[in-house]
This record gives sequence, structure tokens and C-alpha cells, in this order.
Amino acid sequence: MFTKRVTPRREFLKKMAIMAAVSTATAMFPGILFAEEQERNLPKGSGDMEWKKAPCRFCGVGCGVLVGISEGKAVAVKGDPKSPVNKGLCCVKGYHSVMSMYGKDRLRHPLVKRNGRYEKTTMKEALDLIASKMKETIKDHGKDSVSIYGSGQWTIPDGYVASKLFKGCIGTNNVEANARLCMASAVTGFLTTFGSDEPMGCYEDIDHADVFILWGNNMAEMHPVLFSRLLDQRLKRGVKIIDFATRTTRTSAAADKSILFNPQTDLAVANSICYEIIKNGWVNHSFVEKHCNFNTGKTDIGYGLEDGFKFKDKGTPSSLKAFEKFLEDYAPEKVEKMSGVSAKDIKYMAALYGDPNKKIMSLWCMGMNQHTRGTWINNLVYNIHLLTGKISTPGNSPFSLTGQPSACGTVREVGTLTHKLPHGVVMNKKHREFAAKIWDVPVENIPAKPSNHTVEMFRALDSGDIKFMWIQVTNPMVTMPKLNRYRDATKKEGRFIVVSDIYPTPTTDIADVILPSAMWIEREGMYGNSERRTQYFEQMVQPPGEAMSDTWQLVEVAKRLGFEKQFYYKEETHIEEIYNEYRRHHEGKKHNMAPLEVLKAQPGAQWPYVDGKSTQWRFNAKYDPACTKEGFDFYGKKDGRAIIWERPYEPAPEEPDAEYPFWLNTGRVIEHWHSGSMTRRIPVLHRAVPKAYVELNPGDAKKMGVKNGDKIRLTSRRGTIVLDASVDERGIPTPGQVFVPFFDESLLINELTLDAYCPISKQPDYKKCAVKVEKV
Amino acid sequence: MKRVFIIFLFSLLFIASVVTIKNSYKEGRETALVYGTEVTEIPELLHEAALFSRSHLALDYKDMPVDPSKERNLDSYYKNRAFHGAPPSIPHVISDERNMGGKNCLSCHQNGGFVQKFDAYAPVVPHPEKINCRQCHVPQNEKNLFKPTEFPKLSAPNIHNKALISSPPVIPHQLQLHENCLACHAGPSAPMEIRVSHPERVNCRQCHALNNKETLDIGDFTR
Amino acid sequence: MSIISYLAYPTKGKRAELIEKLEAIETCEVVPSKNHELLIVVSETNNKEEEEAFKNLVNELESLDLLSMVSGFDTNGNELKGE
Repeated sequence: MFTKRVTPRREFLKKMAIMAAVSTATAMFPGILFAEEQERNLPKGSGDMEWKKAPCRFCGVGCGVLVGISEGKAVAVKGDPKSPVNKGLCCVKGYHSVMSMYGKDRLRHPLVKRNGRYEKTTMKEALDLIASKMKETIKDHGKDSVSIYGSGQWTIPDGYVASKLFKGCIGTNNVEANARLCMASAVTGFLTTFGSDEPMGCYEDIDHADVFILWGNNMAEMHPVLFSRLLDQRLKRGVKIIDFATRTTRTSAAADKSILFNPQTDLAVANSICYEIIKNGWVNHSFVEKHCNFNTGKTDIGYGLEDGFKFKDKGTPSSLKAFEKFLEDYAPEKVEKMSGVSAKDIKYMAALYGDPNKKIMSLWCMGMNQHTRGTWINNLVYNIHLLTGKISTPGNSPFSLTGQPSACGTVREVGTLTHKLPHGVVMNKKHREFAAKIWDVPVENIPAKPSNHTVEMFRALDSGDIKFMWIQVTNPMVTMPKLNRYRDATKKEGRFIVVSDIYPTPTTDIADVILPSAMWIEREGMYGNSERRTQYFEQMVQPPGEAMSDTWQLVEVAKRLGFEKQFYYKEETHIEEIYNEYRRHHEGKKHNMAPLEVLKAQPGAQWPYVDGKSTQWRFNAKYDPACTKEGFDFYGKKDGRAIIWERPYEPAPEEPDAEYPFWLNTGRVIEHWHSGSMTRRIPVLHRAVPKAYVELNPGDAKKMGVKNGDKIRLTSRRGTIVLDASVDERGIPTPGQVFVPFFDESLLINELTLDAYCPISKQPDYKKCAVKVEKV
Repeated sequence: MKRVFIIFLFSLLFIASVVTIKNSYKEGRETALVYGTEVTEIPELLHEAALFSRSHLALDYKDMPVDPSKERNLDSYYKNRAFHGAPPSIPHVISDERNMGGKNCLSCHQNGGFVQKFDAYAPVVPHPEKINCRQCHVPQNEKNLFKPTEFPKLSAPNIHNKALISSPPVIPHQLQLHENCLACHAGPSAPMEIRVSHPERVNCRQCHALNNKETLDIGDFTR
Repeated sequence: MSIISYLAYPTKGKRAELIEKLEAIETCEVVPSKNHELLIVVSETNNKEEEEAFKNLVNELESLDLLSMVSGFDTNGNELKGE
């Protein structure tokens, strides 16, 4: 039998101690009252818990979680064993995710800045003020002086009403989202190669593939649940994992082979792999002849460093022969010197891709997307898969991962980017007419020209072209590159900033109005993950104070602006009404979304959802009902053919020199997510990684006489910061490179980063700029 | 004539082999396009899967002496978790920040045993097949919080959870990822309050039933 | 292992700050008074070092005017001090 429990004594003693103090205090101050015993309002016991399903709040993997609800509070989390994404497993953030709702400093009431001080107000007054300010700004400065900056953490209804209000009703394309900083290059990669956004494959590819090549993707920390699926497959089937990166990480430790390259040279290595594939006759000719076209694009395309930078890509048809000629510069022996990757390793990777008997999956995320040639490197990896015909079949899958829970679902599918509409783009008249009809607005409302992408939007705020900005569910005052400039921009005279958030952040610091938001399971909504899976969650707990969902904040303001007709939704059923309206944009075999009842009943569904079935592999007639040809049909392009692009190596805009001799790379750690405003309020996670640090290569550290924990000053042309050194700990950057995580709002590494971006995707490169490293 | 026949035979063989090689080469090229197996059903995390995985050690567990000076108790066991059922944090220093569990954590936590360095018995992991340990388990390097929290931490269930004075206690926790009873309930690292007195009986759930609801609370059963 | 309760007097106007600071310390619990500038603080420490560390942390708080010990126990059962 069990021995007797001894613990209650401790609790008892604690109560005794408190009682003693209470009686002493009462003797001193008769009539003194204390907050009743703190646990009184807490739920009791833990046997009676209700488990409700939701997608995880954090990354783009979109794990299914079950949230334990007891007496109106979310008190526990476990993985949903029925979810095909994570099959019951979570990561440390997921397990503790509900704790992110209970930080003591939750925003509970709106705050309005008057004479430099924040005053508490009611939701009604705050929304009135926002609406009147918007009206006034539009009247004085035109429609394009107001803007909204949202997020890949927006639920689908949030993004949908934002787009409908700004593009459809107000009539400005000033709609952007932080996903521009996170996966815009993946989008343009898909569009340029296939003409249709989002991965063709799905997570189940992991269960079929024989080889996994991770392109600059520290999956063990950033997509840990999927990485565990890889490790699981290795135990069961002996698959191979190759880590191709600029930094030695846990992923490298777990991989079968770790291959390191110099920053920016992934472009050259990818071309070199194609060179080897062609040279060794590993091209799948029948596939290439039937399903591919060749294109050359523009070269020397710039970096977007100048305000108002404009670029338009154009492809001209080419041929396999010309492609072969183009690749002549990329023989492994030539690339070896530049990239630091031995010719042997390049040939090794090429052989894995080329082996007709191996199914292969390429995985990537920020390493390839946050890249001044992000679109190009995405194209190049598709080139490899297209040349070998290893695509759109189970286990053969170039797979672009995402970092936010609904970067795909909201930003990419709803289209909350300046050029996008829920279906199609603003430049296309038919697409505008289609959207205007569903939105019930005159088609002339929707401008035919895209306005400002994210970096330009903040530049326009600086120049004064934009006067009003509403920021929801994101923290740009931690995450914008070249932060000092854009923070100053927000503080300029005559700018009005509204921030909807759940906690005080550096972004609420610059707000004129702060709205308290209801987060995640405090409201109803849907997220869409990286494998085209849309997942629904119900409201499980009450939001604190007057906190309101971002969707309803927008609806309330829209009504105040006079758009009652378009925003006809009833408060009790608005999420359902919005989702049903949104589905109409995607009708048809190529993008049909599952009905809400389906999403409520099961752990998500993958679009195109046709005849009651999710589509796991697109562009393959065997699995995808939208295909009109036998075999493969890349129906995003008119002739059904994917494009193999000639994309050369071009250097980064700012490379290390004598004055600033180190590369600066930034990123995340497993414990913290995005800007840390949620994860840092989870005790377990904050205590694991309490602050940012700088990783140095042990060789560099030795030369400089730096030990672990020493203070290091990093300086770039834009800012300077002092951090603790981390030598031979979590990660080892290649020599001449340092790495800093960006979650820490008191150590803002983005004051140092450069706002250069990929001219095609307009996504900034957070992984490469030049810094000086000094011991303090 | 005989020679011609031999030449003919060999050239026939040669042609045949060329054709065969060509075909098999072609087929080899094709395999890259062979469709994968049919869409498989999602194997759920089986609650029963690891139930018996340490049971071959049951007799050893039975004869294992108790070391009262190094015993853990439930108090410290729960202190290490954000809530009942949360993955425990790592209460000790870690030698290698980039390790995968297979090479490092599991050397102590797979089978447990006394660790001189920490003067303690290592707890046994109930799911040794998951080797990216730090996906869920993180160290605690800081005492203070970033901001105070109001997370309602429930007190863990009492161990006196028998229906009748004579009946076996029920299982008050989720089984997912800890379905292997003996890992936590037997051996010197098991918290003393929940160490089983009869590890040799192996088929735990013959007598100990689950008491937690999986999804929706349907209330007490009535006809 | 000891459990000690104190009465804490905040510096004028810094009650909220004091509560926040104290709540951030892991080894202590705070019960603020609803109608007086007074808090009850309970510390729960595992050994002498932790107790010292707690005291040092508390002594550094500017928002704390005065801290007086009321009652203490060690969890092995012996009452340490009383008032």
C-alpha cells in the first residue's frame, strides 16, 4: 500500500503563519480587511475537468491541443491524440500555453493617451474615439492616410473583417500583416514557380520520405513537434536527416549529417546541386518535358534600402539547354570556395536528391524566407525537386514551414497583404469585381494598385503619408528591423496609433489608444496551419475586464464609420456568419474551405476540401480533384506547367568588412515565441531563458579572450547593445558570425538589424548584417 | 554452323541483357514517381502501449531496498510542474546544451539509479522513445518572474482517493505520455507517497481504474 | 525548511509596486490588506541560504518601508519564533 502523505502539514503551517499575521494586524489596526484567502476564487480539486479541443496558440505547425477547463479557468493542456498533426504530443510552449492568459498585468480596460498620460476609459468611448479619428484623418488627408497592420496570429475572422473594412469599405490597400516579415518570400516563391500559394504536400509526407534536408531550419527548437515525427521515423525506418545551416544547433546534434555554409551562399549551393543532377543524368526527363517550363528572371535586383524603392520581376522563357549553360558557373569545385561547403558534401546532397529510389523532403522556414534573395532561394529548392520530379507525391515534398498559427490561414488565404484579396489580387479587375460582389460594396471602392508593404508602410508613417495606423496582435516595436528609425516615426507629431493587445509591450508604449483584446480561447475563431489545415476553436473562458476580440473591435468601428450594411453580423453568431461569407470567396475545387460543422467536429480539415474530403497532395490527379490532366497538373499556371527559374548567386547588401567584421544572425529559442510578450509571462519558460544573449563561435571567443557570461558590446551602423556572451551553449555560429535571439524587449537586437528586403517578396532579411563585436 | 549458333546465342543473350538493363533502369527512374502507400489511419497515442514496458523488471523492483535518506516526496514532485500533468522542468545543471536525449539525458533517465553528482536517484522517464527531451523539459535558470502571474494552479489530487476504505485507489492523472506505471511508481526515485508496495503485480490497471474524464463532462451516469 | 510570516509597510504611494515586486519572488506569497497600507508576506524557504537570499532581495526593495516578523515555523514541526 501507499505510505501516508505528509504534505498537508506544510500548507497548514502556512495558513497558521498567515493567521498569526492577520491577528497581529487586527490588534494594531482594528477593522483591517485582507483579501480573502487567495485560493478562494480558484477552482477546487482537479478530477472534474472538461477537455476541449483547440489548435495551439503558438507556431505554424498547428498542433491540436486539449485544454482542461475547470470552473471557468483554463488550468491544464495536453496534446490531442486525435490530431493528425501532433498525435498527442506538444512542446514545452504548448503544454504551458494557457498560462499565457493569466499574467497579472493583462490589459483589462482601454487606455487613452491624454497630455502624455494614459487614462482608463470605457470600450464604447475608445471605439468612438477611434472611429472619429479615422473619419477625420480620411477627410483631411485621404483614404490612403489610414492603415491597418495585423498579424499571422490574427484569426481568420479578424483578418477577413479587417480586409473587408479597409479594402472594400474605406477603399485603401493599406492592409498589411507581420507575416510579411515571416513568410512573404515563401508566397512569392510558390507564386513564381507554381502560380498557387502554399505547400502541395502535407505533414504526412514525413511518414513516407526517406531523406530529410533541412535548409537553414533549426527544427529541433522551432518546429519541435514535427521534428519529433522525423526522429520517430528514424527509429522506425532508419530515415536520414541532413542539417544544412550556418549555425550548429540541437538539430545538427540530432541530424545524421551537419553541413555548414557561409551566409548567403545557399543560393550558390542550390544551383550547384542542380549542376550535379544534370551532369550525372539524374534529371527526370519525362517529368520535366511534360510538366515544366524554364524561365530567366531579372538580375542585380537591389535590396530595397531606399525609401519608395520599386521593383517588378519579369520572367522570359528559356530552355533546359540555357539552364545547363547558366549552371556552368556553379560546379561544386567552384562553389566550394565561396560557400565553405566541400565539393564532396555538395555532391553528397545532390546524390540524395538524384537517387531515383529515395523519397526526399526539403524543409525550411525563416532561414530561406528572411533573405534578401528569399524568393530566389525558394525557387531554387523547387528547381531541384522539379528537375528530379520529386514533388506532389507522398514523401516527395518541398515543404515551406511557417512560424505563426495562422500565417497561412489568415494572411495568405484571407489575403491581408496590400496586393491581395481573399480570392486573387487587387490588380486583377475580375478579382476585384468578385470580392466587391460578396462584400456588397461598389467595385470602384477597391483600388487597383497595391499601396505600401510593411517596411514601406512604416516609412510612410515616417514621411507623413500615413497618419493613422491600427496595430493588432503583433509587436512591431520589437520586431521591425532598423527599429530606431521606425520607432521614431511612430512618435512624430500628427500620427495616431491604435494598438490592440493583451499585455503592455513596447508597441503599446507608442500607442495613442490601447484596446484590451480577448485572446485565443477567450473568444471563438479559426487558424490555418502550414499544411493547409483550418482548425476551429470555441470560446472556453471569459476574457478579463472589458477585453474584446479583435474581430468585434473592427466590426464595432466599421459600424461607427457607417458600414452597418456590410457589417450586418450579430454578436452571438458573428464568427459563423463571417466564416460562411468568407467561404464564398474560395468556392471551387482549387480552394474550397470545409464547412464550419466539419471544423467543429474534427481536428481541422485541409483545403481544397471537396466532396467531404481534405486534399493531402495538390497538383497530383490521384489525390487532387482540381487536376484536369492525367498525372500532374500545376494548375496555378495557365498551361499547367511549373517553372524552373534561373536565379544566380548575388551577395548580401551588407557584408562584414574591416570596421564591422562579423555577421549578425537573429532568431528564436524553443522556450520563447515571437516577441516574447506571452511566453515571458509563463513562469516555466521565463525561468528557462530569462534574457537575450549573444552566441559566439568558440574560436572567435578564444581569440578575443571572451568567456561564457562576459559582457559583449555589439554595434552595427544602426545601433548598439550590450549582451552576455554564450560560448558553446545552445548554438555555435560559424566563425565570423554571432547569433542573438530577438524575444527580449529590454535587449532589442532589431535596433541593429538592417531593413533590406527581397525586392520580389518585400520581406526583410533578419539573418544577415554586419556588426562589430567588443568585449566590455 | 555450330559457331554461328553460339554467336547467335550470345548475341541473343547480349540483346536480352541490354533490354533488361534498359527496362530496369527505366523502372528505376520511375520509382521516384511511384505513389506512396495509401493514406494511413492516424495511430492514436495508445494509452495501453507502454503499460508493460518496464514489467520485466518487476521482480527487481520488488526486491529493491528503499533508501530513506534519498527519498523524494510528492511535494517536491509537484513543485517541479506548472500544473498537475505538465512536463516537469529540469532541476539540475545540464552538461550539453545541444544534446539529443539519446546521447545524454537517457544515460541517467532511461533506467534510473543513483547519481553521485546530484546525490539523488534519477527519476525514470516513462517515454524513452521520445528523444528530443528539451522539446518539453526546460531548465530553470532564474528565480524571479518577468511579470507576476495569476495562473490558477490547482492543487494536485489527494492520494487518498479510494471509493471504499478497502478498495484500490484510482488513477487520478492523465495517462498520455505517462502510461508506463512502473516508471514513476516503483524504484528508489519514485516519490514515497506514490510508490507501489506490490510492483510484481504488473497488470496495474487490473485493479486501478482511471477517474478522469477524457473530453466532455457528462455528469453522473443515469439511465 | 521554514515558513515565516511578516507584516510589510510600503513606502508611501508605492503599495502597488511593492506587491508586484514581492509577488515576483518565488519563495514568497503576499496577502495585501484591502483598507490599510499593510501587507502580509509569507516566505517559504528550503534552507538557510534561501532564507538569506530572500531577505537580501527584500532588503533591496525601495518600495518597502518596514518589515516586521510575526511568526515562523519550520516544517519539521518546531515553532521557531512567535509573538
